[in-house]
Amino acid sequence: MDILIPNSWLREFLNTKATPKKIAEYLSLCGPSVEKVTKESNDSVYLIEITTNRVDAAGVVGLAREAAAILPRFNIPAKFVPPKIKSNQKLVLRVPYLTARVDHALCPRFTAVLIKNVTIKESTKIIQERIKAVGLRPINNVVDISNYLMHEFAQPLHTFDYDKIKGKTMLLRASKAGEKITTLDEKTHTLPGGDIVIEDGDGRLIDLAGIMGGENSAVDENTKNVLLFVQTYNPINIRATSMTLAHRTEAVSLFEKDLDPELVEPVIRRGIDLFEGLCDGKAESEILDIYPNPYKTKKVTTTLDFIQMRLGVPIPKQEVSAILSSLDFSPKWTRNTLEVFIPSSRSRDIWAPEDLIEEVARLYGYHNLPSMLMSGKTPDPLPDAPFELETRVKHILKGWGGIEVYTLSLTSADNVDLEKRHSWALKLRNPLGSDSEYLRTSLVPSLASVAQQNAGEKEPFHLFEMSNVYLPIRGKLPEEKMVLGGIFVGHDYREVKGIIEALLKDLNIEATFKTQDAGGFLLNHRISITSKKEDIGQLGVLTQNKFIYYEFYMELLRKSLTPRSFHPIPKYPTHVEDISLVLPPRTLLGPVIDVIKNTDAHVVSVELIDIYQDTQTLRIAYLDPNKTLTDKEIEKIREKIIKVISSKFGIHVK
Amino acid sequence: MIIMEERIQNLKNEALAQIMSAQSLEELENLRITFLGRRGELNTLTQQLRTLTPEERVTVGRMINDVKGVIENALVEQRQQLSEKREGKWFDPTIPGIKPKAGHLHLVTAAIEEISNTFEKIGFVRVRYPEVEWDWFAFESLNMPKNHPARDDWETFFVDAPPHPKYGQMVLTPHTSSGQVREMERVKRPPIRMINIAKCYRRQSDISHVPMFHQFEGLVIDEGISIVHLRGTLDYFARNFFGSNRRTRLRPYHFQFTEPSFEVDVTCGVCNGRGCKLCKSGWLELGGAGMVHPVVLKNGGIDSNKYTGFAFGWGVERTYMMKQDLNIPDIRLLYSSDLRFLRQF
Repeated sequence: MDILIPNSWLREFLNTKATPKKIAEYLSLCGPSVEKVTKESNDSVYLIEITTNRVDAAGVVGLAREAAAILPRFNIPAKFVPPKIKSNQKLVLRVPYLTARVDHALCPRFTAVLIKNVTIKESTKIIQERIKAVGLRPINNVVDISNYLMHEFAQPLHTFDYDKIKGKTMLLRASKAGEKITTLDEKTHTLPGGDIVIEDGDGRLIDLAGIMGGENSAVDENTKNVLLFVQTYNPINIRATSMTLAHRTEAVSLFEKDLDPELVEPVIRRGIDLFEGLCDGKAESEILDIYPNPYKTKKVTTTLDFIQMRLGVPIPKQEVSAILSSLDFSPKWTRNTLEVFIPSSRSRDIWAPEDLIEEVARLYGYHNLPSMLMSGKTPDPLPDAPFELETRVKHILKGWGGIEVYTLSLTSADNVDLEKRHSWALKLRNPLGSDSEYLRTSLVPSLASVAQQNAGEKEPFHLFEMSNVYLPIRGKLPEEKMVLGGIFVGHDYREVKGIIEALLKDLNIEATFKTQDAGGFLLNHRISITSKKEDIGQLGVLTQNKFIYYEFYMELLRKSLTPRSFHPIPKYPTHVEDISLVLPPRTLLGPVIDVIKNTDAHVVSVELIDIYQDTQTLRIAYLDPNKTLTDKEIEKIREKIIKVISSKFGIHVK
Repeated sequence: MIIMEERIQNLKNEALAQIMSAQSLEELENLRITFLGRRGELNTLTQQLRTLTPEERVTVGRMINDVKGVIENALVEQRQQLSEKREGKWFDPTIPGIKPKAGHLHLVTAAIEEISNTFEKIGFVRVRYPEVEWDWFAFESLNMPKNHPARDDWETFFVDAPPHPKYGQMVLTPHTSSGQVREMERVKRPPIRMINIAKCYRRQSDISHVPMFHQFEGLVIDEGISIVHLRGTLDYFARNFFGSNRRTRLRPYHFQFTEPSFEVDVTCGVCNGRGCKLCKSGWLELGGAGMVHPVVLKNGGIDSNKYTGFAFGWGVERTYMMKQDLNIPDIRLLYSSDLRFLRQF
């Protein structure tokens, strides 16, 4: 949470010559982070980020304590000035002016005091200025005092119009589901149950405790007697109620962080001082205090060894003690064992020796610690790591003109895959919008969309992406399958297939192509790519816009990799010749080439080198590793080939 | 002797005439042999110097040498002219080339590669843990019980799927810290040096936030690991990634899963830590870090009495943009599909 603290207010509790700039700098290095210092009229205001574990420093007094401990570490003298408290009423278990029954699980400390004959009027100038400086509006002395003390101590207070509390009775309990209450802001809430509420003698709910007071018990311009009310609440109930009702106040953001009950006493006493001083009221002689489990000083034990090891410096015992004492901890050394007594204000944050290490280290100064890399044994590599192949493939594609894009994993229902099958895909409960509601099961729609967006491009382009798709598995996390998807716009199909073939060759993967139709692709315009009996990818022309799309499944690709081995350079020449074929209509050339390759072991390559009208010319290479093939032998192989392809495919050879 | 001079003059004129009208390199070569060869015209004349007086020898000798030079130059020039003619045009070496089709890898890929390489050099193992995770790994095992206010800091996307009996709700992980306990379970016994780089998701979209982004998470667990080693590792990264004169510093912060916790700053590249218009204080915020909380170690099955560790988790995009001075005003541009953006890197 972010808080505003005026410098002049801070100086009431902090005696130092340090400038606001220096205070901000040093606080940030050793304590709460000062995000900004703004100059306003003749004062400066600090904007401070308070982490959830340091609610003790979320007020002026707590911050002054931190500054008083930190500044001397930079050789700037600083002293904490405790708040001056005049009132000295006794704390008692029973008072004549109020009967209270309290559920202690919900409210660990309940205090209240009656202040009679108040005059509602404007607050003094200083209080109004400070209220404004912390971002609030001054309203009247009663409201302002509550806000003022809340900011001074980071402890919320509440005030009731005493005369509106029927029967002078308060019952603090958990609400039942369905109960209703109208709060000060005139909103009526239906409670979910389990919320902390206060019921008066007439059975009315008069307070949504910790969150906002009830309208029916609020202080107004006619109020004569005020009940000043300072409590500690169970943070879990406060947060649950606030979240469910979507009602968040400054008091909530403090209470939900688990406040220190010991804070209640100084605050209610200060409250009495301010009410008597500024509202002309007179407080009763006794304060009601129901506090069945007062703080029992917590103790954390550690050793000098532990501290020195964790810090990495041989910090001496005296310095450890000095640091801890400056933070209100009470250290006690027995030889090299350290017992530290924790003040109540830090008892919710300090539990174990590690927490003490943070206190010592941050004041010692992280900037004063040495900096060294760890030595010693390094871990074993990750088996079957996919990263090297992923990087390699990306670089290959880049070299051939591919442009990498990253698209969002979340899509609309229609873009989950080519066939809009969103009912089986995972979807979010709280998406940002319906266009990013589903976890995609395919890259095609996203890439097609990107290609479409760039349709104005005059030059052909090739976009690719390597990302996970999310395939749901019942009862488990989805399979995150890494897919390489690419889309070609404005390219010839043979160019694209050439790149795919070249990629497979570079990876030394033996793959076969087989025609196979699938949804979203033009009929008869798609092949599946198989290696070692598994489908490792696909290539085809999409129905939409005739973009050419290809895909590879990276894990399967990795498994299909074969290491390269050396092949002895042939001693004898290859014989190369061209044959021109006329295929019957609708004959696929791929299978023909496969058959030719398998016809004879001497056929080492078959390339398509020309297409002219209905004639396709193949360049065939023959090789015998042990001798030069004679013309007669080549003729025999050629005849075999021609025989096979004519009979099998009805091909006419020119 | 005057006859000699006349003869030399005539030879020169004849040679030049024939050279100028030569049509091929072959012809030129023949001319060269004819006039300048061992048994060529000039040499024949040279041999006749014997018949002259010493003074005449000097003058005529000089003349012959001059003519030799003139003929040689003429031959060179004519050769060049014939070559140019053959080529068909004048050669211009400054002409723009025909570029091969250039591809582009995405900025994020470049960033991930560089970050990964930097850490792998000091023995880190690169991993990639699930983007769709259970609540246990994303929050609860990291010392954030259900309903803890600390969870608010990450605006989490929840998946509409039945919860796991042990691991809780299915979420899109908002940070790579979800990999910490996963790695502890995988390696089981330290040393652990993990660099987990993966996609994260947060329910936020504005000028400095995108709902899908990348983070890199470092985790080191071993005997005797202290804040000193965290500083050492962060300084190593800053020097290698940002530049050898860049330094890091730690400031107190709070995360539930580290104790102590820090925010890490790096010196500003523009003013080198002195303070300027860009950085104001001389430092730029990088991300969070801390010593692994003993509760987290326990949840990962690691004995916190024997082992300690540190962790840090930063945004890939943010960190890279800080290095390059890329001037990208809106982080959402990084995930643009416009070719005019993609082609810039």
